[in-house]
Amino acid sequence: MKKILVLLFLLTSVSTVFAGGDKENSCADKPGAYSWILAESDDSILPSVNPLEVKGAITAAGSSTVYPLSERMIERFKNEGYSGNITLDSIGSGAGFERWAVQAESDISNASRPIKEKEVKAARGNGREPIEFRLGTDALAVVINPKNNFITNVTLQELAIIFGKAEKWSDVNSSWPNESIKRYIPGTDSGTFDYFVEEVFDKDKKPILSASNTQLSEDDNVLVRGVEGDKYAIGFFGFAYYAENSEKLNVLNIEGVEPGSATVDNATYPLARPIFMYCSANIMQEKPQVAAFIAYYLSYVNEEIGDVGYFPAAKAELNKAKKNWMKAMEGKL
Amino acid sequence: MKTAIDIDLFQKDLSTNLQKREFLIKGILYSFAVISIAVTLGIVYILGKEAFLFFSGGEVSIIEFFTSGEWQPVIKKFGILPLLNSTLLTSFIAMVAAGPMGLFAAIYLSEYASDKFKSKIKPMLEILAGIPTIVYGYFALTFITPFLKNIFGYEVVDVYNTASAGIAIGILIFPMIASMSEDALSGVPSGIKQAAYGLGATKLEVSIGIVVPSAVSGIMAAFIIGLSRAVGETMIVALAAGAGSNFTFNPFRAAETMTGYIARISGGDIGYDTVDYNSIFAIGIFLFIITLILNIISQKIVQRYREIYD
Repeated sequence: MKKILVLLFLLTSVSTVFAGGDKENSCADKPGAYSWILAESDDSILPSVNPLEVKGAITAAGSSTVYPLSERMIERFKNEGYSGNITLDSIGSGAGFERWAVQAESDISNASRPIKEKEVKAARGNGREPIEFRLGTDALAVVINPKNNFITNVTLQELAIIFGKAEKWSDVNSSWPNESIKRYIPGTDSGTFDYFVEEVFDKDKKPILSASNTQLSEDDNVLVRGVEGDKYAIGFFGFAYYAENSEKLNVLNIEGVEPGSATVDNATYPLARPIFMYCSANIMQEKPQVAAFIAYYLSYVNEEIGDVGYFPAAKAELNKAKKNWMKAMEGKL
Repeated sequence: MKTAIDIDLFQKDLSTNLQKREFLIKGILYSFAVISIAVTLGIVYILGKEAFLFFSGGEVSIIEFFTSGEWQPVIKKFGILPLLNSTLLTSFIAMVAAGPMGLFAAIYLSEYASDKFKSKIKPMLEILAGIPTIVYGYFALTFITPFLKNIFGYEVVDVYNTASAGIAIGILIFPMIASMSEDALSGVPSGIKQAAYGLGATKLEVSIGIVVPSAVSGIMAAFIIGLSRAVGETMIVALAAGAGSNFTFNPFRAAETMTGYIARISGGDIGYDTVDYNSIFAIGIFLFIITLILNIISQKIVQRYREIYD
């Protein structure tokens, strides 16, 4: 009998704890949930966010390209006082949308390509109308080993042969050495892979995946290590990873254009692409902490983006993202 | 009179209480034993179900699965041979490294080493066995591979290669083989050894000619369990063996193994019910069957060749 009493006591105490948790969550709908908005804003469009007042957990997942930028913004968000829990997973754009649109598990989807039509449909099926936030521009870097002295520039056509049917370097250009090409490319789940296939192979995955001596990895460090260790290696990944490892690797010019902020801004570098964050109005309204994080992100992204290795988006694009935010939160602020 | 009845009642009460308690304890122990069986059955069921989806999807035939030399599910190439080949290659290299080393260490420990030395070296072996496999993976990548490059040539050895992964797996399974073989060798009764000494045999002759053959079933079992561990090892090959399927017998080339593929593909968390997703279960059940067969063989060997003493 005594045991049963103890058990009953435990059960009731546990249930009160959980009930307490429920009460806390329901607070989010009250005006107090927006106490993080500062009276004065130093942004022309968005309200300013006080991270100290932001409560609640945030989950984001997606592109490994966006990952370092989001990681930096989260660090800054936390340094300025956010004490909640943000999880950020680097799983590739496709998997990010899978988690956000299909499984409806994450709050934010990071992507290095625009959302696809069928992903939009899946998101709507879960009551999520995707809103796009442009964060900046990433350039792909095609990299080689520093000991490689026969190649400094490639055309897109040559790239298609190098990452496609060529077995040896001499198959691409007879003046290049008679050595096997060792290829290091991002995994098929990454936006980087999709983008490269789209630009270089006209969306046909067959040649690049049929090529011999090809290592695929979602982990860009695996690729860096591979190219670093082999004189006849070639690989590609986001420019940020090249920037981080520029002393170990050499970057190739594409069609005679060197990757850099000038050539990305004036759109002459052929392998540059936008990077995004996706959320929906209902998530931002149900979880004000997500809205706060996105507003904070958009307000300060340009102060960090160059340091991370990407290029800022054009002002009009960033303003559009900020206006998207305002529209999503209309009537709630 | 009254007290006698009380005692009687008390004893009766005690015995039913005892029975109840015994029954309860038996029930609890039984349920734990059943959990292990239930988990195994659950794993087999899930593996089987998902693998069935893979083959019944209409895109893959079992014949193609076992005969085609190319594996690239994204572009509909489903031949398991390159993955199987590199799994066997890394396991073979691991066994070449760990087999003789483990056996010789075991012979030394059971026949030659003093008790004092043995009591020091055995915990060392256990430490080696307790190192997380990811550490071995980076050891292969940052130590063994550069080492191989220095010996065989910078251009000959790829950054990711099956040789360095195989050697690291060898180091991983070495303590297991050594300690299991040592148990088998120590199990040989000293009477047999004494008889051989009595006939004038030297220590080496006794060790190699008497003790090892007498313990062969235990040693074989140790080797096969080591082999099945090598086949199933994941973290080392995922880090060091390469990340693209490649049908090659050259140990200095990068070639992804079955477990490495599963780790890489599931790490990217792909969509459910896609061919990619189901393919990892097909590989998983195949791996499961391989290790199951190896374990059955090792049991049969132990039963068949066991020398029964006393």
